[in-house]
Amino acid sequence: MGQDLYAGKLVRVKAVDSQKLAEALSHWGRDSEYWRLLSTGPAGLYTVKGTKEWLEKSQEKDPPSELIFEIHTLDDDRLIGETGFDGIRWQHGDTFIGIGLGERDDWGKGYGTDAMRVMLRYAFTELNLHRVSLDAFEYNPRALRTYEKVGFKQEGRARQFMLREGRRWDLIFMGITRLDWQAIQNGE
Amino acid sequence: MHTNLNTGQLVRLSAEEPQVWAEAFTRWSRDTEYIRLLDDAPAQAWSVTKRKQWLEKELEDPERSYLFGIRTLTEDQLIGFVGLDGIQHTHGDTWVGIGVGDRNYWSKGYGSEAMRLILRYAFTELNLHRVSLGVFAYNTRAQRAYEKCGFQLEGVIHQAFLREGQRWDLLNMGILRAEWLAQNGKGLE
Repeated sequence: MGQDLYAGKLVRVKAVDSQKLAEALSHWGRDSEYWRLLSTGPAGLYTVKGTKEWLEKSQEKDPPSELIFEIHTLDDDRLIGETGFDGIRWQHGDTFIGIGLGERDDWGKGYGTDAMRVMLRYAFTELNLHRVSLDAFEYNPRALRTYEKVGFKQEGRARQFMLREGRRWDLIFMGITRLDWQAIQNGE
Repeated sequence: MHTNLNTGQLVRLSAEEPQVWAEAFTRWSRDTEYIRLLDDAPAQAWSVTKRKQWLEKELEDPERSYLFGIRTLTEDQLIGFVGLDGIQHTHGDTWVGIGVGDRNYWSKGYGSEAMRLILRYAFTELNLHRVSLGVFAYNTRAQRAYEKCGFQLEGVIHQAFLREGQRWDLLNMGILRAEWLAQNGKGLE
């Protein structure tokens, strides 16, 4: 005990301020690459108001099936992205995780890796889940490297699941169990 | 163009009223083994009324318009359901779910045929590129049926379920349009 679960080495996850996050998401989405790296859904342009309503609705359920956090830099408290658990199945101890960094300038600097480590620690030591799952896109090798770095293993692939830029891409199933995660923390 | 997409040798796909669905789902779900082979949600006893209200809301979602009943051709008995959900038209992909609620019709080819009908519908009417499904590691009967229909094992999601005090894997399977056509193309007009 005594550890601040929300802080990593480079970033801190914070509660969602729906107005501020909606403004940020609406802005980040102007770069279509943001949604295309994050979601299989078609990239779209979303207003601040619509995004805010969607965010608030997703937080209504009790217990929430979706837990969203903002990602801020530790040194200057800048809002740089979002991350969240969705599809939490409490009875099986399993959840999906998603993460997105808004500005291209912030990519490849370790922020995503650090945020993912914070989220895994929260999932395994506070929510006491048994495993965390995610689906990665074949065309996003940077994300794949990040996920593997924090301990996710590839579990299979849905062949030709996506059609983008005129070609088919696989969806890659990944997962990490609490035992795998614990072994990494113990330096095994 | 003369094939009736909705009919096979043993079963036909049907449209059902919410009241009929609610009664059937309630009847089937009294069998917890059925529910635990079908779904990862906790088995729960719901009244017909509650289920009907839930269904009416669900069926408003245009995605849910691909929920079909499975009816036997001989006695016109409603024995199960098959449905597509999570269709992504941009990628040409969908998930499929199927359940034969009446135990008397397990392991007799009814489910396999209903799956073949929905695959034909997905590939030749909706013109999708692939169909995906998830099946529980302990449901070996379903795995065999899906393989028979042409699905390939694509992934093993480790320890995704906790049931009967034990962790179980989730198996993800998929079939591509080209694979389906190679196996079934000849029978099409």
